[in-house]
Amino acid sequence: MLTITIGCEKDDICIEGSENTNRITIGFIDYENKNEIGISLNSIKGVGLDSIIEGFSGNNLKLPLMVNSNRTQYIFEHNETLDTVNIHHKTIHKYLNRSCGFISNFIIKSDTEISKNHGWIREVSILNDSIFNEEKTNILIHY
Amino acid sequence: MIQFLMKKKQIYLFIISFVFSFNTVFSQVEDTESDSLRKQNKILNINKLRIGFDLSNPIISSSNDDNLSYEIVGDLQITDNLYLAAEFGSIDRFIEDENINFNSVGDYLKIGFDLNMFNNWVGMDNSIYIGLRYASSKFLNRVDSYTVRSSDTYFSNLVDNGYENITHNNLNGNWVEIVTGVKVETFKNIYFGISLRLNKLLSDTKPSNFDNLFIPGFNKVTDDNTWGSGFNYTLTYSIPFKKRK
Repeated sequence: MLTITIGCEKDDICIEGSENTNRITIGFIDYENKNEIGISLNSIKGVGLDSIIEGFSGNNLKLPLMVNSNRTQYIFEHNETLDTVNIHHKTIHKYLNRSCGFISNFIIKSDTEISKNHGWIREVSILNDSIFNEEKTNILIHY
Repeated sequence: MIQFLMKKKQIYLFIISFVFSFNTVFSQVEDTESDSLRKQNKILNINKLRIGFDLSNPIISSSNDDNLSYEIVGDLQITDNLYLAAEFGSIDRFIEDENINFNSVGDYLKIGFDLNMFNNWVGMDNSIYIGLRYASSKFLNRVDSYTVRSSDTYFSNLVDNGYENITHNNLNGNWVEIVTGVKVETFKNIYFGISLRLNKLLSDTKPSNFDNLFIPGFNKVTDDNTWGSGFNYTLTYSIPFKKRK
């Protein structure tokens, strides 16, 4: 009887389309005229990791934030120069259910900044500080 | 994988229990086939008090390296076929679930009755019974670590420190159980028993930003479903009030 009961348990599979952890959306603007422009990055790398995210070309860059930290650092390579962006965020975990577990929401803090290395990035500004979806641009990189 | 092994172990425990119990039932039936006298029915027949413990919980807790879990069981015969029955248990179990690893610690009390459906020959005292319990548990669930749901695995999504790794204290659960089982007198006044339980959760205090995935005594709580299941495998000693003929 127990065998049957276990066999009949609801599948522990998180239903597709359930809420998920959202990535940060980064936009790029021209430092001089503040117009949105595309960018071409040779590589993107999270600080503390060895693996490199492939290069990027376009307007809106979506990147994961660390769910087990309050800071995520990315090194962006543009025209063979590297710059590091420190994204400080409040990390809030929300429980969904047994099969999906927890997801993470983020609120970007105002001390998000660039570590000046070589300086292709001129400025970082926050547009929408809360990351509850991936529709809005959260931060702008001025260059 | 570990979860699967745990299930497998429970299933084996079951099969072994069943084979053992039924063998004993049948062997005893054969022994007394010649005796055709039946016990006389009386309305009130407070005859014996059985006290014992569950064998499965200590085995499970020691094989999982958990702190000792146990269940004390008892029943009091009040009429020929009706018994008042109760179980008290204390559980401390580490559960590795799909996304979340947590500790469930608590005590429970189950009170109800068993109705024996088995006609014994004189001198025999086995039972096949159905029963009902009202059960209540006071417990805590301590989140140890969890993996955050994310479609991106560039960074590790494991959270094993801070955030929601907290203890949810002062939780309560109340439920009813439909019980079916057998008790076999293996030696004089010593009974082996096995029971299966279908549990229906009536109420539980929900922790904030978490859920009761396990309630001591009730066992696994599934999403969107208030039914659960359980079993025990008991060894009891009967304190007779009257001498048996």
